[in-house]
Order: sequence, then C-alpha cells, then structure tokens
Amino acid sequence: MSNSNQPQPGTPGEENKSGSNKPARSAAPVSNAERIRTLDVVRGVALLGILLMNIPGFGLDQSAYGDILRGDHQNRDYKTFAIVTTLFEGTMRGLFSMLFGAGMVLFMLNKKDVPGGASVGEYYYRRLLWLLLFGMLNAYILLWPGDILYFYALAGMLLFPFRKWQPRWLVALAVLCIAIGFIKGQWQWSELRGKREAYHLAKAAEKEKKTLTENQQGAVAQWEKIEKQQQPDTARTNRNLRKMHGGYATVFLHMVPENSNNEIWGIYHWVWDPLCMMFLGMALFGLGFFSNKLPTSVYTLTLLLGYGVGVPLGWFYFSQAYGGAFTDFSAFVDRWRVPPFAVYDLKRVFLSLGHASLVMLIYRSRIVPWLMKALACVGQMAFTNYLMQSIFCAFIFYGYGFDYYHRLRYHQLYYIVGAIWLFQLVASVIWLRFFRFGPFEWLWRSLTYWRRQPFKK
Amino acid sequence: MIYPSGANQPGGYLTGRFSRYFSLDVLRGIALAGMLLISIREFGGFSLNQQLKLELAATGGNYQLWRVFSVLLEGKMMALLSLVFGAGIVLYFSHKKEEVSTAVTDLYIRRQLWLLFFGIVNAILLLWPGDVLFGYGVIGILLFTCWRLSPRWLLLMALLFTIIYCGKNYWNYSDDKKAYGKYLVVTEKEKQFSKDSLTRFREDSTWAAANPAAWAGKKKDTLVKRGDKDTLIRKLLNDSLIKAAAADTLTSREQDDKGAWEGLLRQFKYDSTADKGSQAAMHAGYGKIWSHLLGKTQGREAAWFYRTGIWEIGAMLLLGMALYKWHFFSSRFSRRRYLLIGLLAIAAGLALAWLRQDCRQAQLADYAVYVSARSFPASLAFPFENLLMATGYAALLLWLVRLQPALWLWKIFAAPGQMALTTYLSQTIMATVFFYGYGMGFYGHMPQWQLYAVAAEIWLIQAVFSVFWLRRYRMGPAEWLWHYLIHWKKIAVKYPAEKQGAAPVIPS
Repeated sequence: MSNSNQPQPGTPGEENKSGSNKPARSAAPVSNAERIRTLDVVRGVALLGILLMNIPGFGLDQSAYGDILRGDHQNRDYKTFAIVTTLFEGTMRGLFSMLFGAGMVLFMLNKKDVPGGASVGEYYYRRLLWLLLFGMLNAYILLWPGDILYFYALAGMLLFPFRKWQPRWLVALAVLCIAIGFIKGQWQWSELRGKREAYHLAKAAEKEKKTLTENQQGAVAQWEKIEKQQQPDTARTNRNLRKMHGGYATVFLHMVPENSNNEIWGIYHWVWDPLCMMFLGMALFGLGFFSNKLPTSVYTLTLLLGYGVGVPLGWFYFSQAYGGAFTDFSAFVDRWRVPPFAVYDLKRVFLSLGHASLVMLIYRSRIVPWLMKALACVGQMAFTNYLMQSIFCAFIFYGYGFDYYHRLRYHQLYYIVGAIWLFQLVASVIWLRFFRFGPFEWLWRSLTYWRRQPFKK
Repeated sequence: MIYPSGANQPGGYLTGRFSRYFSLDVLRGIALAGMLLISIREFGGFSLNQQLKLELAATGGNYQLWRVFSVLLEGKMMALLSLVFGAGIVLYFSHKKEEVSTAVTDLYIRRQLWLLFFGIVNAILLLWPGDVLFGYGVIGILLFTCWRLSPRWLLLMALLFTIIYCGKNYWNYSDDKKAYGKYLVVTEKEKQFSKDSLTRFREDSTWAAANPAAWAGKKKDTLVKRGDKDTLIRKLLNDSLIKAAAADTLTSREQDDKGAWEGLLRQFKYDSTADKGSQAAMHAGYGKIWSHLLGKTQGREAAWFYRTGIWEIGAMLLLGMALYKWHFFSSRFSRRRYLLIGLLAIAAGLALAWLRQDCRQAQLADYAVYVSARSFPASLAFPFENLLMATGYAALLLWLVRLQPALWLWKIFAAPGQMALTTYLSQTIMATVFFYGYGMGFYGHMPQWQLYAVAAEIWLIQAVFSVFWLRRYRMGPAEWLWHYLIHWKKIAVKYPAEKQGAAPVIPS
C-alpha cells in the first residue's frame, strides 16, 4: 500500500475529505484513493473474526458441541467455547453485515448515472446477482454450507429503496427486523411449548390410570421424538464422518441437501437476521461512525455501552441458552416462557458496536499502525479472503484434502484460525503491493461491469 | 403485469380506453383466464390427490375433460403470463429511454417489492397458496438487469434456464432410480434372511435328528431331555425360526432405504385420508384454514420457487424479453409468420405432451417397472412443452388480434388484462369466499365441470366489471393502490373530463 494518495493510518480527518469532497464519479469501480480506510479496517477485523465462528463448522461434526457442553467444564475445549460464544457469536457476521449495508450506500454515493448506459442502480443489482452466484459457488462447489454471500446478495436486493433514508428511520427498520425475527422465534417456541404441554397433560392422565386417547398417545410419542432428536445420535455422526472423510464427489453429494435446505429456508425465515444488521450499518454509516468522523468520546461511550450491555448478555446467552438446551432439553423448555435464545439479536448488536468502537479507538490511538494497515488490506480484499477461508478450510479438513475432519479437538481448531489469520494478514499486504484488487474482487468487478478491469498496479 | 398501463404515460389513454399495448393486454388477460381454469381446481377442492384418482382410473368423460384442460392449459398459461411479464420489463425500461437512470431503477424495484408484498397478502392473508405474485416479485428483481442483453443472448439464456429445469427433472428421476436400487438391495437381503433361516433350520433339524441326546443336552431343557419327540420337534421349530427372525433385522439405514422407496410409491397412490383431512380443515373457520394452508404456502414461496419456479418462470421471462426486442408483441411480424410459428410450436408442444401422457400412464401403472426400464422421466421435456405451447399460443393470438375480428370478444380479455393485479387479487377473493368454510363453503362439493363453470362465471364478472371500470377510470383499484404505494402520492384515477364517454379504440 505505498499509494501516496492513500491517507495514512493514524491521521483521522483526512478520510473525511476523501470521503465527501471528491468529484462525482460515473458508474465505475471505486478507485483506491476513494476508499475509506477505517471501513476497510473494521471489515478486515470482521472478516478474520468470522472464521472464529466458522471453523467448528468446517472441522467438527455438530455432536462436538453437545459433547463439550455436557462434558467437564474445566477443560480447554469448554473454556474456549465459552469465551468464543460469549464474545463473538453472531457479532463478527453482524459487523460484516453492517459493513455490507454501509458499502451499499457507498457504492450508490460514489457514482453518477451516465446517459445512455446502464444506471448505477442496475450495476448495483448486477453486482448482487454475481454475488448470489459466488455464494452458490461457495456453498455447492467449495463446499461450505455456512456460506453467507448468497444471503447477503438477496438481502442486499431488498436494501436498495432504503438507501436514502435517514439514520433514525433506518434504526427503526432495524428494530422492526429484530422484532419480526423475535416474533417468529417466539411463535416457534410457543408451538414447541404447546407440544410439551400436551405431553404433560397426557402424562398426568396416565398417572391417574386413565386410558390415553389417540391424541394423547400422539402427544407423548411426538415429544419423545423431539427429545430423542436432542440426544446424541451416533449413527448420524458416524455417517457424517464417513462421508466427510470421503472424496470430493462424496462430500459434494453429502452436502447437496444441507446446502439447498439452507438456501431455501435460510433466506425465507432468516432474512431478518442479516437485514437488521445491514439497516443498522447503513444508519451508522450515515452518522459517520464507520468513517471515523465521530469524536473519541463517542467511540469510548459506545465501547462502554456495547461491552457493558453486550458481555453480560452474551454470558447469559451462553450459559443459559447453550448450557440449558444441551444438558436437559425438556427441563429447558419447561423453564423458559421466552427462551434465552431470544436475546441473540440484542446481544450481538451491542457486542458488534463494542468491537467496532474498540477497533476505531485503537486505530485512532495509533499504537499498532502496522496492524491497522494489514487489517485494512485484509478488509479491502474481504471477498477474496472470505472465499479463501472456505478453500483453505475445506482443504485442511475434508476427505479430499488433509482430512483433519473431526480429528482435532475444539480448542486446537483455533491454532488453525491463528495460522490462517497470519497468512491472510501477510498475503493481503503483499498482494496489494502488486495488484489493485484481490483476485476475486477483480473477477467480481469485471463481471459486474462486463469489462476487464485493470488489475496490476 | 408490471408494465405501465396506457394511463400512466402521456398520450397513452388519449388513444382510447385501452392502452397502446393492446396485444399485451389481451395476452395477459387470456393467461389470467387460463390460469383461473387450472387454479379453480385447487380452490374448489379438486385436489392433486383427487386428480390422481382420476388419472389412475384413466377412463370416462371426467378424465378426458381433465386431460384436455391439463394438456392445453396447465403450466402453459403461467408460461404465457411470464412471457408477457418479461416483455413488460423491457417495455418499462425502454419506454423511458431518455431518462434511464437510477430513479427509474428505483421505481422499478419499489414496484417489484410491493408486488412481492401483494403476493404475501394474497397467499397468507387471502389464503391462496398457489399465488404467483410473490414469485414474480422476486424474479423480477433477480433478472431485470438482463433487459439490456441482445435478443440472441436472451434467447440463449432462456434455453439455458429451460435446460436446467429439464436437468432438475432428470436429477430427481435419477434419485428415484437410485432409491429403487437401494430398495432392491434391501429386499434382496430380506429374502436372504428367510433363505438363511430355512438353511439354518434344515441344518439344525438334520443335526438334531441325528443326535437328539446331544441336542437335548445343549438345550438344557427337561422336557426335551425326557425325550418326547413331538415336543422336541416343536421346540426345535420354534427356537431355530424365532432366533433366526430375531437376528434378521435390517439396520436403521436399511430401513430408511426401504422406507424411502415405499414413500416414493405413495405419490402414485390415491390417499383418501388426506382428502378427508383437507375437507374437514377447509370447511372450518378462517383460523383453521390459515394454519392448514400455511405449510403449503411456505413450501411454494420458498422450496418450489428455489427448486423449480426460478427456472420455470425465469426461462419464459427471458424469452419474453427476447421476443419483445424482436418486435414480436408489436405485431411487426407478417401474418403468415405468426400463423406459422403458432401452428408449428403448438404442434410440437402437443407432440411432447402426448409423449409425456404416455410415459405418465406407464409410471402410474407400475413405477418400479418404469424406473428399471426407462432412462427418462415423463416430466423430462415438460419445460420445453410449456415453452413451445406458450409461444405458440402467443403467436396464434397475435395473429388473431391482427385480424381484428369482434372487438367485444377481445375486450373480455383485454380489460381484465389491463388491470391484471386487480383481476388476479379479486379472483382469489371471489374464489375463496365461494369455496372456503368461512364463506359459502362449496369446497369439495362440486364436480369438475361445475368448477370450470364457476371459473367462467368469475371471469365474466371480472370482464364486465373491468370494461365498465376502465370506461371511467384510468387504472384498476389495486393498480391505483400499487401506484400510490410506489410513489407515495395519490394520482387522479379518473380520465380528464373532455374524454369521458369516448369510444374505445384499438390501435392498429
């Protein structure tokens, strides 16, 4: 990043100029000079942070969670799991979603329509259409069922008409999305509790030596089935392990149902999740939060507020939701009228804010400029780095690669996370010395504008 | 459906009560009418399950009636609507050529998002699980940027989408084939069980007959030790068979494999309990019907759309864009060409339909035999059948419109077609009120031909209403609401005073 146009880290204020006073651009990719540095830094942090939550999905069968939670609480696996879940679950993806929303506004702000050509709005949708295809590629070809690009593309298509809304209305929309998500979750939960209730009634009747009606027998059977689904299922685990240790075709076919299921029902029921954070990100961008425009006192305040509320909520979430649901599911259902899972969105909004504020404050304090620079590079090629995580992890864990699937312990996975982080930090800096964009960014831009984009510096 | 009605643009309504896009209105109207004839079955309780019963019987006037309507309309009318929808997108963007900018895109996206919203209302509040507006809303957002492509590219993409749709049908079929293969392995093993048991039994009995004392000693059974030969044999029989049977169990995986194929076979069997269940639910109140239909609605909006809808609608939408760019809809082709395209495409489509029906009957007769003998499913070429017949219909209709016979006849379709959203939503309202339990409750009480008569009745009401409505107003009530939501301001819905009462004119 020896570009002299680039504002150097640790000089807050310069971004303001490069962010707002530039001449209106025609529909073309953002040049390096226009990038907002802090946006890249935060995106870099989020991108690396996402791997914290994704690595167990790549490396472990899902039975591992139950084993850890039901097992000894003093070992490293449990401690790592507690820390990672409390502090990071949903937050890095949340930050990433916020920056996606901010990036959308930025994309639209930076360009002006050229008469005769496609409008900026059309480019916006083309860009997302390609992102959708990349997301499917990530899920089906690179074999990562936890892909988010597909969801971002579709959620992004809904954001467009809201791009000029004022921050407070965007916050209201975010709250609305959280509310819808909450109501949907609560609906499912009360259905589940209804089944539990029916089970209790049937059992009570059984105690009184009454013969059960057909419905009551059904209720008992139904709940027993639900409870059994919560128990470890070795046959299922073994099958999964056998498939994951297989070759590419085996893993591919094994993942087709999971992938299509995620993409069908994920977007249909779960679109509120990315959407609320995107709206929030648009609002925060509008307020200047991500472009380093607010006074230090505000960032300090959001840091304190974010962590002050977020960490206790995160701990409550981890200990009550995970701790409860995985140890005795039935008792868990009996106990909570509103499940502890319901605080999910709230805790991650606060924690994400805390994380973002922390990054902004470190950036301002200029204590680790080299790290900030490296993170900015990671963030600048976030798309490449995200896909690279899939490629690396699939290659490390799946049968057609080094085949480490379910062969490492939970806490050991984080050594791999560290290694990938280091690689991405170094590789991004080096790459951007020679090239303008990451390779996938370049491909994405070229496809969006349907024209080969300049690549080398 | 999304295209601007003549009223929305300067000079549009001045040419008469019908828009400049008369032929598109006619096609849209006919597509909507045809779709109603198919959806009235589900509205009226002539469910897929019931239709299967008819298909299994495969004789009688009722069956022939069903078959004719299915071959001619099912899938084709939605394809026709998608064709017009695609044409409408190009029209929307290209008629504002001088101001193609983000503002136009913005209005377009709002239009689509509100359409999507109307779809949710139609499906989840008005309770029509077969709603298409949701799908059109989504797909219109996904694919609209293709409107700038050249017609040749659009045609290629349309073919690609159709081939993918065929490929998915084939993929599903090959899954069925695989399931049957696994089932055969499991049943083979089961046969082996009884063979094994018999062999074991035979060995045991030979050995026991040879060494009764040793055998009795092994069994440590006093009864047997006493040497009662009858008891001995009875014991032997029991033990050896029961033991064998106990060992002869399938693993849960094998049971799943077996169950999977048996489940597949169930889709070829008439299920009378399902009918009873839906009868009971659909005659209940709103709440009960709502929860009865929710799963179906969500399945269509999410799973069907992802697996099938995007390809099925998308292919025709892209083809519609291509045809529009080739000036197919503005009647620029020669009459002979329309006639030729129409007849050839319909003939080819009917040939494919005939082939499909033939395969379908073979599938129904014995799916196991079908799966082991044939490489392709009946549904393989269905996407092409749709594409050909919808295009053929469009060409034939455009040919007829150019002949300009009986104006009033075209009005019956053009007027409801011009206010398509109103037409579509009011179809749901009329049909649900007529059939569902919270309305008049005719669900499941009418034979097939009466259902078609009800559909015709609904259409008649809509046609008359639309013709009179459009004499006074520039757009339908739902269109007005749509317009209001998009622009967030009201517009005058009446014609300017001096044009009141002018005779409808069809632009040539």
